[in-house]
Order: sequence, then structure tokens, then C-alpha cells
Amino acid sequence: MALPKRIIKETERLVADPAPGISAAPHEDNLRYFDVTIEGPDGSPFQNGVFRLELFLPEEYPMAPPKVRFLTKIYHPNIDKLGRICLDILKDKWSPALQIRTVLLSIQALLSAPNPDDPLATDVAKHYKENEKDAQRVSREWTEKYASK
Amino acid sequence: MSNKALFFAGSDDEIDPPPVNGAASDANVSQPSTPLDPRPGSPSIAAVPEKRLFLVDSDEEDAFHSAARAPGPSVLPDDRADHSSSDAGLPCLEEAPRTSSVNSISSQLSDTRLSPAVSSPRPPPLKKQRLASPENSCHPPGMEDAYIGCIVGNAWSTVKGKGYINPGDEVLIERDALEDKTGRVKGQNKAAGDKGKKRQLTLKSMMNPQPSKKFTKRKIDAVIRLTNKAGFEFGRLPQDLSVWISRLLDLDMITFKGSTMIDCPTVLHSGADLVVSLSVYIRASAFNPPSTSGIETSKIFGLGQDTEEETILRERKTALLTLFDMLNLRPRRGAQISRDCHVSNTGSESRSERSTGKKKVKTEIVGDGEEVEVEDGEELSDNDLQLIYRKAQRNDQALGEMDPPPTFSLTLRGYQKQALLWMHSMESGEKSARDATCMHPLWTEYAFPAEPREGLIDLTEDEKPFYFNPYSGELSLEFPKSELKLKGGVLADGKMGMGKTIMLSALIHTNKDPEPVRPEDEGKKVRQLKLATLVVAPASLLLQWSEELQRSSVPGTLRVTVWHGQNRLELDALHEDDENRKSIPVVITSYGVLASEHAKLQKSNGQSSVFQIEWLRVILDEAHHCKSRTSKTARAVYALQAKRRWAVTGTPIVNKLEDLYSLLKFLNFFPWSAYPFFRSFITVPFLAHDPKAIEIVQVILESVLLRREKSMRDSNGNRIVELPAKEVSIEKLQFTPAERIIYDSIYGTAKRNFDQLNAKGLVGKNYTHVLAMLMRLRRAVLHPSLVVNPDDGSQDCSSKPKAVDLDTLIPDVLKDSNCEEGSKNAFAESVLANLANASDVECPICLDVVETPLIIPRCMHQCCRDCIVGHLTACSERGEEGRCPTCSQGPVKEIELMEVVRSKNVLEEQSPFFDSNKIQAAISLRRNDFRSSTKLDALLQNLRRLQDQDPYFRAIVFSQFTSFLSLISTALDRERLTWYRFDGTMDTKKRNAAITEFRQNERKPKILLISLKAGGVGLNLTTANHVFMMDCWWNTATEHQAIDRVHRLGQEKTVYVKHFIVEDTVEGRILQIQKRKTAIVKEAFRGTQQSGKGDSESLENLKVIFGDD
Repeated sequence: MALPKRIIKETERLVADPAPGISAAPHEDNLRYFDVTIEGPDGSPFQNGVFRLELFLPEEYPMAPPKVRFLTKIYHPNIDKLGRICLDILKDKWSPALQIRTVLLSIQALLSAPNPDDPLATDVAKHYKENEKDAQRVSREWTEKYASK
Repeated sequence: MSNKALFFAGSDDEIDPPPVNGAASDANVSQPSTPLDPRPGSPSIAAVPEKRLFLVDSDEEDAFHSAARAPGPSVLPDDRADHSSSDAGLPCLEEAPRTSSVNSISSQLSDTRLSPAVSSPRPPPLKKQRLASPENSCHPPGMEDAYIGCIVGNAWSTVKGKGYINPGDEVLIERDALEDKTGRVKGQNKAAGDKGKKRQLTLKSMMNPQPSKKFTKRKIDAVIRLTNKAGFEFGRLPQDLSVWISRLLDLDMITFKGSTMIDCPTVLHSGADLVVSLSVYIRASAFNPPSTSGIETSKIFGLGQDTEEETILRERKTALLTLFDMLNLRPRRGAQISRDCHVSNTGSESRSERSTGKKKVKTEIVGDGEEVEVEDGEELSDNDLQLIYRKAQRNDQALGEMDPPPTFSLTLRGYQKQALLWMHSMESGEKSARDATCMHPLWTEYAFPAEPREGLIDLTEDEKPFYFNPYSGELSLEFPKSELKLKGGVLADGKMGMGKTIMLSALIHTNKDPEPVRPEDEGKKVRQLKLATLVVAPASLLLQWSEELQRSSVPGTLRVTVWHGQNRLELDALHEDDENRKSIPVVITSYGVLASEHAKLQKSNGQSSVFQIEWLRVILDEAHHCKSRTSKTARAVYALQAKRRWAVTGTPIVNKLEDLYSLLKFLNFFPWSAYPFFRSFITVPFLAHDPKAIEIVQVILESVLLRREKSMRDSNGNRIVELPAKEVSIEKLQFTPAERIIYDSIYGTAKRNFDQLNAKGLVGKNYTHVLAMLMRLRRAVLHPSLVVNPDDGSQDCSSKPKAVDLDTLIPDVLKDSNCEEGSKNAFAESVLANLANASDVECPICLDVVETPLIIPRCMHQCCRDCIVGHLTACSERGEEGRCPTCSQGPVKEIELMEVVRSKNVLEEQSPFFDSNKIQAAISLRRNDFRSSTKLDALLQNLRRLQDQDPYFRAIVFSQFTSFLSLISTALDRERLTWYRFDGTMDTKKRNAAITEFRQNERKPKILLISLKAGGVGLNLTTANHVFMMDCWWNTATEHQAIDRVHRLGQEKTVYVKHFIVEDTVEGRILQIQKRKTAIVKEAFRGTQQSGKGDSESLENLKVIFGDD
């Protein structure tokens, strides 16, 4: 099946005008499959880290949300150890008006503002709730360990 | 030969020399026209005097019927027909022939001493009649049998021994006399149960030595004995010869003279081969009409039940055909009788042939035109029709021209002048402009072969013709002419407007003098509008007729009255007016008025002036409106009294030969106007695949019909009508998935239903139901709303679209918003301003420029229609409320969406919904409460494209479904296109208004929506040059006629026709059926079924519809 015009447009725009701290490039053999890197936002425990993600646009896209997963290990209450992300716009709050760029920006924002009240990695969330400082320390360690440039 | 003749003359003293004959030839000379001649007025009148004559005879002779052998005049219907249609057509010589050609024929015949004996009594049949022996000759002197040929055939010996016969000896042929007794008793028994009329016929037949039914069944009675001079039987003819020769001998049709033995063994033994030469003479009595009644209405409808008389007739016919075949006699002129014809003479064979023929047709879709025409079912394909008309058109190129009188104000084209001449000559009773020396279509001409006299053939002798009717088996010595006595005809020019109205107007101006009063009419008290012409037309065309008639006349020369509507004038008043003024009165009325007037007439003592007046001329426009002979309209039309009758129609034969009947009936074209006659000579043979049926129709048409087509060329080789080109295209469409689901489910149900019925063989009984399912399917193709019940939750699509005033919308938006009032307001205004500036907006979903923007009223976000609809559908599939994709506000419903309409109207035409100060371009919003369909979208798309090319286009949209027309009109409103509607639910006034407005010259596009039933005919819509056919018709002819409303005289532009077909639907199957030559579908199939039952052909078509691929 031919690639929808929208995906082509989005890809072109991502390449031509990348969002700061985010890169996304489609695989040559599968234009629906993107290699993504997100830089850890300044001021967050993930600062100076570069996180690799994979993004896949399903057949129904944009009527259905893209599938996104962290490849780099990350210590974050809303991201489990398999890299799955708990983010409303990737689930029920998805809207076809959202795009790859907006999804990635949202993920970047999620790094700045973890939400332990809606956890995916329960132990991490518990850690963040009970002792945020210590938890942030672990996050920084993991970033240094797994996501350094 | 000569000595035998002498012998005849001398010996036969028990028989009076026929004074009849002398009288007849006297009459030939002195009375060229006889008062006995039955007028072609009506079949009953024509037949009655003959019957009476005959009855008198027969009653007298009844006592000695065994002695009466003479076949008197019979009451065969075909016989009747010939009397009147072709004056000289009959062998019946009591009537003096009236034309010189006949005289000459009969005088020639008397030269050779062959002159038919008529009603001269014959000796009783003897027990052992020696047919060829002089003593037993039943011929009066002065009459002779005519030599028609020689059969050399085998025979076999029945005796053993020597000296019975030698080669070269004369052989006598003997036949056992018939046993009258059985026949008579049978006949009487039969007659007792029958009506009086028939009894006479039966009695009559008894007087002839015809084989009784019992007799015909006994093969042994076909024995033909060969005897020597001494009268001793030595041999017999073999079965294959005797079976038909015996018939002819029994019927006294032929005799054998001077037959000789060619070869035989000297010593005979039983079964020995003999070769004999039999000289066949046709007896004068053979030229008398066959004395049985062949065709009676009741018999025709009694399926397969042949009466005794019919059997005899058929045997006679078959035997004669075989004889001619054996003698190698070939018709010199007239229709060739194909071999099939011989074969199909017996009922069972023709039936079986028919069934195989049908099968053939089924497989043979792309057949050779000629062949298919023979094999065809009752329906006619276009090819057949062309073939039928071809003969009538053959000489039209050379037709002379005639100029209209000065009171006619228009100039006629060449072919119109030709038509005027033709119509003028048809009316004035002059010989038709065409050469009318046609032989009667049922007859063929043969020549008597020269008789060898003493072994020599006189080659100088002229060949004498005789005529044979292979249908009735009749023989005649007189030339059976096909002649016309009516005044009027069928003007069947083309299918499109060639100016038929104008031609008839010219005729009205040309032939305005009253008919001379015939002596027989003087006694009649008929109110006459002496000069008045009555025009009967479909209600939709009344105005057009009136306009055209006035346009074509010098003012004051024609007085047109449209006699229609509730307050119809008393026609008598018109009559009185007529005395004072010099103008020609023309009354125009509709078929509907005529039918209701006729109903009034039929009520007890009802009166209706239109039927009491004898019109000078009645013109039926679109005469195929009364093609069904049993309809009220048709009956009303037949009841009109007129001196001159014209039927005007582009399709005298819509799809059946029987369509023609009604026209002929209206024209009083005897004998074809008698239904039994038409049926037995045209319909029935056609059903039996006898090509003769077509030939007969051709000859009929040649004498009454004028038909030119736009493609025909005049004598200079120019096209008679130069019409601009016509481009027909088919746009194939694909359903949207949703439509596909709806359609498939309906189709599935219908197919299951049909399959079940079909398996039980109940389709015929539930035909109406099946048709209803089919209609539903066809509607489903057009638009889902046409099949979905309104309470299914779908919107009421026919409601008028409400345009939304932006000024009221903005406050609504403001009121709705609960936060950021200022920014919201600003945003809304900027959206609307952007709309006005027609700047491109990107759809947030497809990231493309929005084509047809839909605005979400809550937040004023915009999307493409398809994107937002897809999004909302996806939401509802997930069980969620629809939300704005951009701002997630909700809930959003599809019908709340606002559609932005950029009006393409010219700038000065401000949209009424906008304050002109505020916004420059005409832009409006409307609710997205209209659900379109594939077909509708395709139409709108085409119209938009058209508007880009031609801002003032005129288009016609045809559909069969008025409900679909309503949907289209709603959609057109939304597109802000001007439309007019023309359908059967509107009264004449409204229809006329619609047409007038549509034709008006305005600087805007206009679309006319027409339902086929109402506007398929007659209308002149040459202002338009784009035609859109929304659905397909069963009958392509109807489609063409609809298109020809536009593609006709007066059209100056190329005409574009577009058919919309949705693929993989019932429409494809309909096209398939259209392509099948056999399957121009019946009236019943088009949904106006009368009986509620389908015939086999319709069922076949249904199987195509519901069949698997």
C-alpha cells in the first residue's frame, strides 16, 4: 500500500525543520518505522542524556496513534523497563490532528515532568513518591550509564 | 391434351356449362367496379354479405349436399382480407375483377381455355372415382385444368404376371372415394355445439369431399392406385408421394392426365419397381377459395387445438408446397418461402423449433443480424427494427418535394417538403407518392410452365402467372395487389426532432379543403367541423404544439384551441365561429382528456362532443402512447371519427411488432386493423420465427409509413439533417465502503429471496414482489436514503438545507465559549475572515489544503469533509464521542458541522446571507445535514467542472425516480445552482412554466431535472447541450429518445451525454441485458406490469440480474 500523503508530508517536515533536541528518521526499507532520539531536557534528571526510541506508524494512522517505545533504558515512573510509555495522547487522547512531532515533544515534556500518580513502572513511581531526590539521583545515574552521548 | 379437352367438353353433359363464367367475363368488361365489392370499412361488414350469399346457397343445397361439390365462396378471414385490402386479390370470380391488369390476365387464361369454375355443381363423388378417366371428369366444358408440371417417380407393383402394363403405356391414377358418412356425422355433431356462424362453415365443409378427421388419421387412405387402360390396378404410388398427392386429389386440387409408364419389368411381381411419369394438372377448382374456415379468433387463442378445418387447410397448404417443390416450381415474385416454413407447418414442429430457436438466441449474443432476426423472440432488437424500416425507406431519396402555401410562414427543409408531398398525396387519395405496385405481402407469384404438346414445348408462348398464398394455401389467377384505402399514414421520422410538428402544420395549411361529401355519408347526421384538425398529444406537449403551430402560420390563418383542463370550451362553439372566420381551426387536446371524455361517452347516454364531431383530420402525436390496444387511451383514440388520420411517432415499433397494430387500428388500415388478422399473419408467424412476418410488416410499412433518419442523405448525398455531434460517455463509479455495505445487504436479501422462489418455480407467481426487490436495488444504487427508512436514524435528506447566517453564528460561538472570550472571538473572526479571503487552509488531519472545508461550530476548527467524517467514524467505532481533532472539544456530531460554500456566482450577485460591506466574496456556511451518494457526488463534480468551463451552462438530468430527483434538487440547492423540475406529479401549467423558465436566456447556469416518464418524449430542449443519465433504463430506445430531446433539430452545439454507472451493482447486469439482442425488456419488466406475472423472457432476464457471475 502506498504511503499516505500525510506521512510523507510529516517526514519531510521533520527532516526539514526538526524540533530542538529531537531527531526522527525513517528506515529506508520501511517508511513507517522511525529511529528517534530525544535529548534529555535541561534541568531534568535526564539532562545530557540522549535517548533512543523507536516509532511505528500503524496502518490506521492518523486515525490511530503511532506506537512509540524507548530503546534506551530509563528510570522514569511513566516508562517501564520494556521502554513502554504511559502517555494519554498515545492512548485515548489521541487525535488525528496530532503528529509525530507533537508526540515526540510530548514525550520530551514527560521527561521534564514525570507523573508518578499515573505510573507504569510502579516501583519507580513508588520511589519517586517516597523519596523524589533519591529517585532523581537514580535517574541521573541511569542517564549517565545508559544514555550518555 | 387437346383431344382430352374436347372429350371433356362433349362428354360431360350431366353438368351445365357454367354460365357463371360467361357472366363473370362479361362483368369483367362491362363493370369495372362492382357494388359487391366490400369496403374496407370493417371486417364484419366485409364478411357478412359473403356469408349470406353462401348461406342461401348452402341451405338450398343442403338436401343434396352429397351432390354439391362446388366450393363456394368461403368465409376464411384471410380470404375476406384479400377481398378488401387488395381488390383483385381473390380467386373468387363471382366478383368481377376491377382492374385492367386482371382483365388481361383472365382473358389470357381463357385463351388457353383455363378459366376457373366457380360454384358450378359437380357430380357426386363416386365410390371408385377414376380421377383421370374421361367418363368421370367433373369438369364442365369450357374449363380446363392447367398443366403445372411433371413428376417422375417410383411406384411399386401390386400384381404378378405379364401384360398388365408396358413402358410407354398410359397410366391412370385412381383414388378411393371418400366415405362421406363419417365425416358428415362428425361434422354435424361438432356443429351442434358451436355457434351459428361456425355451423355454417362446418356444413359448408361437409359439402366438399374433404377427408374427415378420422380419415386423415388413417394412413391406409393415402393409397393411390395405378391402373391400366382397362381399369385394372397393377400398382401403387409409394407412401412419400401418395401421402400428399392423395390430399390434393381429395381436395380436387389436381388431376393427372397423360401419365405414362416409363419403365417397368415385362413380368411384374409384387413389389417390383416401376418408374412412372405423372403429368400434373392443377384443376380450375383449386383456384376457388379453400372452403374451410382457417382462422377464428377463438381458435387462435385456443392453444394448439387445431380444428378439423384448420387441419385440412394446413394439409392443403403443406401438400401444395410439397407439390411445387417436387415440380420445381419456384415463385417468380413475392416473398421467398424458406424451407423452415415447410417444416413449421405442423404445429408440434413449429413449437419445438421455437424452443430450440430460443436456446440458440440465448447463446448467440453477437450473432449475424440477419439470422438473429429470424430466431428472435417476440421482442425486436434495434437491428431488426432497422431492417423492418429499410424497405419503407428505400425510395425515399427520390421522393418529390412540395412547397407549402403562403399562409405557412416558415421555410421548410428539403426533406420536410418531401414529407409534405407524401402526406398530401396520402390524404388526397392520389396514388401514393411511392410506387404502389406491391404485391400483397402474403402472396407469391408462380408461372405456369409450358405444357409439352406432342412432346414439344412451345417456347414462344407467354408464361401465365398464377398466385399462391403460402399462408392460407390459397391459389389465385388474379394479381393480388397490396393497396391502400385509408387517408393518412404514419409519419415516423427519426427518433429526434426533425420538425414533425412543422411538417404537419404545413400539411394543415396545404390540405384545408373539406373532403367531398361521399354519397353514402349524406344520410348520416354527423356534426362536422368541416376544416378542423384535432391534434392529440401528451399533456406535456400541448403548449409546444400550440406555439409551434402559431409560429409557423401567418397570423390569422390558423386558430388554435388548446382543449384541456377543467374548463374546456364547448367544441360546438368553435364550430359556429368557424362559419364566420376564414381561419383554419385546430383543436389540441391530450390523451388524458380524450380517455376521460371517452369514459364519459361510455356511461349511459353520455355525450362527448369530441367523439361526435367528424374531424377533417386527426393527428396523434407521439402515437406510441396508445400502443397497447386494450388501454383506455387506445380505445378512445379508435373511437374518434375522422376523414384523415395521422399517427406521428418516432418509434412506431417500440419493441414488439404488435406495437404497430394499434397504429394500424387507428388508421383503419384494413385488413391489418382486424386484430385476429394481424395476429395470425404477423404476431404468430413471428413467434414461430417465420421471416415472412417481418416481410409482411415491411410491406405494410411501405404503404403507410414515412420514416427518415438524421443519418439519411438526400438525392445530392447531403445529410438531410445536419445535427451537431453527440458524445456519449459512461462514467463508472465505485461505491464508498458504507454504500457498498448497504447495497450488498439489500442485494443479498433479494438474491436469497429470488433463489428460493426460483428453486420452487414460484418466481412467476411472485413476479410483482421480485420486481419490487429489483426496484429497491436500483434505488440503492442511486442513494442509500432511497432505501433506508427515515426512522432508521438517517436524516431527512429532502429537507431544505438551512443556510447559516454568519452573523448569528458568531454570537453563538461567543455564547458557547466559557473561557478566553476575547481570544476565542478573535479566532472565530479570523477564521471567518480567512474564509472570506478564500485563503488556503491546511487540514489538520491530512495536512493538505482543505478542498471542501467543514467547520466545527464549537471551536471553528476546519477539516476536510472526508477527514473529519473519517475521524468521527473512527471515534464512534471506538465507542467514544466525536471530538475536534485539533482541540479535543466535544462532542462533535457530523450533522452539526458547517460546510463552507464558496459561491461561484458572479460577483455582483451578493449572497443574501452576508452583509455586503463586511465580506466581498459570496461565502456562506450551511449545516452538513445532507448525505450525498456516489452518484450524486459524481453529478455534482461534473456540474462544478462544467461551470468552470461554461458559467452559463444548461444541463438536463434524467432519472426514473422522482425521489432521487428530489435529492438531486436538494444537492443543487446546496451548490447554489438554479434548477427546474419536470415530472409526472406536476400539472401541465407547472410543467410549462418550468420549461419556459429553463429556456429563458439568463446569465447563470440552469439545470432541468426530468423524470423519464414525464419528459422522455416530445419536449424540445435544445437550449441545453449536456445530458446526465443518473440511472439506466431497460430499454435503450427509451434512453435514446430522452437524449433526443436535446439532440434534435435546433441544437447548435455538440451534445454531451454522460451515463453514471456504479460498478458491481445491478446496473451492470442491466447493461448486460440491454446488450442481449433478444432482451429488450417488456413493459411489465419496466415496472408497470398489468398482470403481475412475468413471461419466460422476463424471467430469464431476472436470472441474469440475480445470477452468479
